[in-house]
Amino acid sequence: METLVRLSFYCFAAATIAFVASAACYLAYAVGRVRLRRTALATDAGPALVTHEASFQPASSGIGRFATLLAWFGVGFQAVSILLRTIAAGRLPLSNMYEFSTTFVLIAGVIYLLFERWYGVRQLGAIILPIIVAMCAYIWLLPADLREVNALIPALQNQPLMTTHVSLAILAYAAFAVAFAAAVLFLIANRWRVAWLPSPDLLDDLGYRAVTIGFPAMSLVLILGSVWAYRAWGTYWQWDPKETAALFTWLIYGVYLHTRSLRGWRGSRSAVILLVAFAAVVFTYFGNYVFGGLHAYGGV
Amino acid sequence: MTHISLDQPIAKPRALPEVVVDRIWRFFCSVRAAVVEIAVLAVLVLIGTLRGSSVPRSIADAFPIMTPLVDGWYAWDVFRSLPFAGILTLLAAAIAVCTINRAPGIWQAIAHPSVTTTHGFLRNAETSATFTSAIPAAELAAQLESALRSGRYRTLTAERNGEIHLYGDRWRFSRLATFPFHLALIMILAGGIVGAAWGFRENQFYIPEGSVRELGHGTGLAVRLDDFSEVYREDGTALAYRSDVTLIKGGEPIESGSMTVNNPLTFGDIVFYQSGFGQAVALKVADSAGQVLFDDALPLGPFQSKLNPDAPAARMDLLPAGVAMSVIAPDENPANAPELDTLHLRPGEMFFMIRPLGADSPIAEPLGATVGQGESIQLGDLSLTFVRERRFSVLQVARNPGIPLFVAASVLLVGGLAITFYFPHRRVRGIVSATPGGSVARLAPMARRDWSAKRVFEQLAADAGRRIGIEPTLQTNEPDRSPAASNQLSRASR
Repeated sequence: METLVRLSFYCFAAATIAFVASAACYLAYAVGRVRLRRTALATDAGPALVTHEASFQPASSGIGRFATLLAWFGVGFQAVSILLRTIAAGRLPLSNMYEFSTTFVLIAGVIYLLFERWYGVRQLGAIILPIIVAMCAYIWLLPADLREVNALIPALQNQPLMTTHVSLAILAYAAFAVAFAAAVLFLIANRWRVAWLPSPDLLDDLGYRAVTIGFPAMSLVLILGSVWAYRAWGTYWQWDPKETAALFTWLIYGVYLHTRSLRGWRGSRSAVILLVAFAAVVFTYFGNYVFGGLHAYGGV
Repeated sequence: MTHISLDQPIAKPRALPEVVVDRIWRFFCSVRAAVVEIAVLAVLVLIGTLRGSSVPRSIADAFPIMTPLVDGWYAWDVFRSLPFAGILTLLAAAIAVCTINRAPGIWQAIAHPSVTTTHGFLRNAETSATFTSAIPAAELAAQLESALRSGRYRTLTAERNGEIHLYGDRWRFSRLATFPFHLALIMILAGGIVGAAWGFRENQFYIPEGSVRELGHGTGLAVRLDDFSEVYREDGTALAYRSDVTLIKGGEPIESGSMTVNNPLTFGDIVFYQSGFGQAVALKVADSAGQVLFDDALPLGPFQSKLNPDAPAARMDLLPAGVAMSVIAPDENPANAPELDTLHLRPGEMFFMIRPLGADSPIAEPLGATVGQGESIQLGDLSLTFVRERRFSVLQVARNPGIPLFVAASVLLVGGLAITFYFPHRRVRGIVSATPGGSVARLAPMARRDWSAKRVFEQLAADAGRRIGIEPTLQTNEPDRSPAASNQLSRASR
């Protein structure tokens, strides 16, 4: 078992390298090429007037394709890492922050790459891949003993509910991360009208589509969490901080959907709500560090 | 100068109650108000969430001036407060009223949509498709209808000013999905109210091994803990624990079963959950006349003794004897602070202490003694026997008649969301006109600043073109992002 766990970690390390390289390529692809032009007025006495002008041009599509390829490599390594750990533990790795975060890295990568394929938008990777890299860095900083596979505490010994409840939470967070990336890119594209960035309407739509995956998933997280709480603790809602943080996140996305569908909000206003909502996601994700209550075991 | 037409009837001023009801109705129907209510609810939830965290304490540590505010924050139980109940009530009312208000409009869009449109709408649409043909207008309209129907669109036509207006839509009934979703939210609240009003909940139901405890709450049930077993990991934490119980009614055992965490025992509508466990002491107390005052097991743990705050301890009042008795077990956890232990008990020993209870107590001073398992001592007039150590189990017992509502609401909520998001109502309008060379049809989707809807329409137009053998000409206009257009979009979205 220890060998499998070690191999799983090595695969995660390989995935981290691939994601870092992919993020760099995506950033280069999104920013484009910077061309510096130096103009000099030549006189008999030498150059009299020198001006410098910077211009941006779209990067070659090759670097974009390479970024995608590296991201697929990262996802592949991470999938193997999760598979090996699943075999070692006899269950999906979802029980502590190390396992949750490694699975999040995988799902976020997959969700992003699917959106990239559906919409044909590579520039989004310049936002989402750095988020994935940041999560990898966070995993590296976690205490090493969390990498060991431990038996589940009694409260977590419910395989069907733990798998669905926690997996859906990861799916929701990953989809919300894509929506956040779309919102950031929307605000950039809308503000500066960079020619090679996707159209603001496309980004607006992409953000919305990501939320239409994340919001039902988050609803199911709350529902299945309640079902699990009812089986394990005898009540389906305890006003536990982790529960209410998830409810807070759900409500913010509810505001986003209502303003969009009933008040017709599009564009910048919707994008700003998505930024606030993603802050709520981050708060819910890392809340275990500051929350007490029934979900305290989910922390580090 | 104001001109008043005598031909027009003067509007009769409305009565005050009518105006008030109308205002209230409009308030509850207002999307803006609903959004504000959700936002306020979100803020209250955030305040309540942070209350359960160390964040307020960190704020007070960083800014001591904030300490009174932080203390107030911790003291305010947001989720059981009046403002929270108020905003939930307001939101539930808004959901109900708003849903009722929207129902006729939604049904109108489903059952009797407006078929006709204008050339202005088609000209200014963000995307549109033009089909030019040599065949007559009626024939082209029929072909387009057929093409739309093959794409699972419902089609409706109307003739106006010699032109054929064409309307097509798909997944129209998905607009109804908003009702189960919003009904589900109200049902969840109703489930909570029903559970609180007609259910009961025992959070800490202690039963020592071999003991019987009455459940109460009008159930007539008693619970006997037949056996308790636990398995530990190497680090000393519990890996699993199980209670085997027998339910007793009218003195007769009626059902036996086991429960572990995550596997509760259900009896009718009452559910027994495994919550925790601990150490208990079986003891017998008799007075000087030999009358037995207590012969049962006492759970150790819920009480903290000053003699050793870290040790498992229990306290009970022996009213007939006029004393309060406390029992303290050895502190076997090496992680606890040894300097707080004033008793230094060894394994197998217990410390018993009685204190005066009330003015008529037979003792004036506390009396205490250390007793070994199976031994008896005399404390004042009382004879105490430490029979043996036992385990106790902590159960949670609940009856929640709101659960069926919650389950039904969950299905409605997820189903409503899935239909709304994944089967959106797609609509197409068009006009087919006769031209000197035949006919021309122009179609456009009802989609503003909706990238997906435009792509779906373009695919639909291409498919229709292939089916009728006419290459459509696609035309796109840059979306109008002005505030006026946004407001128009807002109105159109409702």
